Amino acid sequence: MTQMWAPFAGDGQPLILTPDELRARITALFNEMWREDREDEPPALVDDTVLLETGFDSMAFAVLVARLDDELGFDPFTMVEEPVYPQTFAEFVAFYAQCAPKPE
Amino acid sequence: MRAQAGVTAPLAQAIAALDLPDDHVLIRSPEREVSAGDVRLIAQMGVVLAGMGVALCIAEPFEMLRALLSLDGRVAALLLLAPDLPAEAAQTVMREAGVERVVTERTDLPGAVTLDALLAEGGEGAPLATQWLLTTSGTTGVPKLVRHERDTIFRAVKTPRAAAGADRWAMLYDPSRFAGTQVMAQALLGGACLLTPRSGMTTGETVDWLVEQGCTHVSATPSLWRRLLMAPGSMRLPLRQITLGGEIADDAILGALRARFPKARVTHIYASTEAGTGFAVRDGKAGFPADWLAENAEIDGARLSVRDGLLWLRPAGEASSTAAHIVRDDGGFIRTGDRIAIEDGRARFAGREDATLNVGGIKVQVEAVEEIVHAHPAVAQCRITAKPSAMMGSLLTLSVVPRAEVVTDPATLRQEIALWCKSRLPPPARPATIRIVQELPLSIAGKTERTGA
Repeated sequence: MTQMWAPFAGDGQPLILTPDELRARITALFNEMWREDREDEPPALVDDTVLLETGFDSMAFAVLVARLDDELGFDPFTMVEEPVYPQTFAEFVAFYAQCAPKPE
Repeated sequence: MRAQAGVTAPLAQAIAALDLPDDHVLIRSPEREVSAGDVRLIAQMGVVLAGMGVALCIAEPFEMLRALLSLDGRVAALLLLAPDLPAEAAQTVMREAGVERVVTERTDLPGAVTLDALLAEGGEGAPLATQWLLTTSGTTGVPKLVRHERDTIFRAVKTPRAAAGADRWAMLYDPSRFAGTQVMAQALLGGACLLTPRSGMTTGETVDWLVEQGCTHVSATPSLWRRLLMAPGSMRLPLRQITLGGEIADDAILGALRARFPKARVTHIYASTEAGTGFAVRDGKAGFPADWLAENAEIDGARLSVRDGLLWLRPAGEASSTAAHIVRDDGGFIRTGDRIAIEDGRARFAGREDATLNVGGIKVQVEAVEEIVHAHPAVAQCRITAKPSAMMGSLLTLSVVPRAEVVTDPATLRQEIALWCKSRLPPPARPATIRIVQELPLSIAGKTERTGA
């Protein structure tokens, strides 16, 4: 049994989040990971922010995606047939929104 | 024969023999370049340092290439070290290789010397048959040493085409890696220009510079390709040849590259530090045709076979790489340690036989990581499992069973263990996610639980 990390809403169901909530979760986890590693403040993530120019390298983004999988219950990068390589933060969030579990 | 006449000549002499115009640029960095005329001058120096082995531990790829050009054929052995190798491991490998001098920018390695000072110590003499000593790319412990004759390094180089001088290759591997030596040899012995980014340039800056330089050939790991595709400038790269190596190239990345660069040929190669270059797959699909495993099939001069699910490979040419950890049968086949699954006429790579994970092209020894986590005072048992990652191939997930007497709350314990790993492991070997659990999942090899101490 996984004790803490509460990846799902408690009953094994993935969380249902609005795009704004998704964006907030992603930003919060990005900031948390940034502060684990660095002293300076994390950069503001806006629509046009180019992911590779945030100071996060591809390893850090891979870890972000893995932790989001634990938190949200899905990894969009492993769900799609055609691979997707988001370049900006808006594209990244939109990709999560597109693949997120939808309410019935 | 694919092997080129004169390949056994030292690098600089072999390039000089191509008879390129003096002003033809062979190596270019954002600040500096090496022309065919410069190489001719290097080739004409009659200096040798007989009996001496020299290590190269150089962070700036341009300087590393210059050192290789200047020293191949002048020393008994060249030991190529990754520039970020910890000092203690570097010294251990140097001792094992019998090498006392090291050309490096670093100040923490004994025996350091500049390239110019080293060359000034030489005497007159005919070129030597320099051995190239490479190390495996593990992340934990001391890397393993693999000895190559110069011919193994240059064996895969194809005879230059008439138009190869217009090719512009990107040097995206560290030149100390086997893959880096292959890109260097193919570009320089083909008379092409090798575009060498400065160390420390970001992926975005590198891509923009390569676009500006009209880069036509790029060889990189699948993980690095995924990163390049995330750089906005990448769609402007005028690529004609795309090569993937170093980790498993899956259908997703191969398909994405074909779609993004329809004019480029997409090739993935199987090579290892132990076997040298094995073979290239040019049909743009993951894995390779299963009939390549037939007894009489020869692929790029190599022979392949699968025994107990593992790939064995007999490299083209004379077997000339040696190392204590290489298993070779009487027929010259080397045991690669890569598992193969055959389905629908296609042989696909199915990971490593031992508990090794490939994280972004870096081999991580799972048991070594578990050992480090296990040393944490609050840990009773722990287990690393693989988590598939679209970006890095795989990442590490750590599951920890705390000792019964530990009362720290799980969130705090997770942070403590993350810090513990961060101070003891390089980034690819650090667990991406940590779970505090009451019982362990299956291990990577599918084994049931090992008992914790």
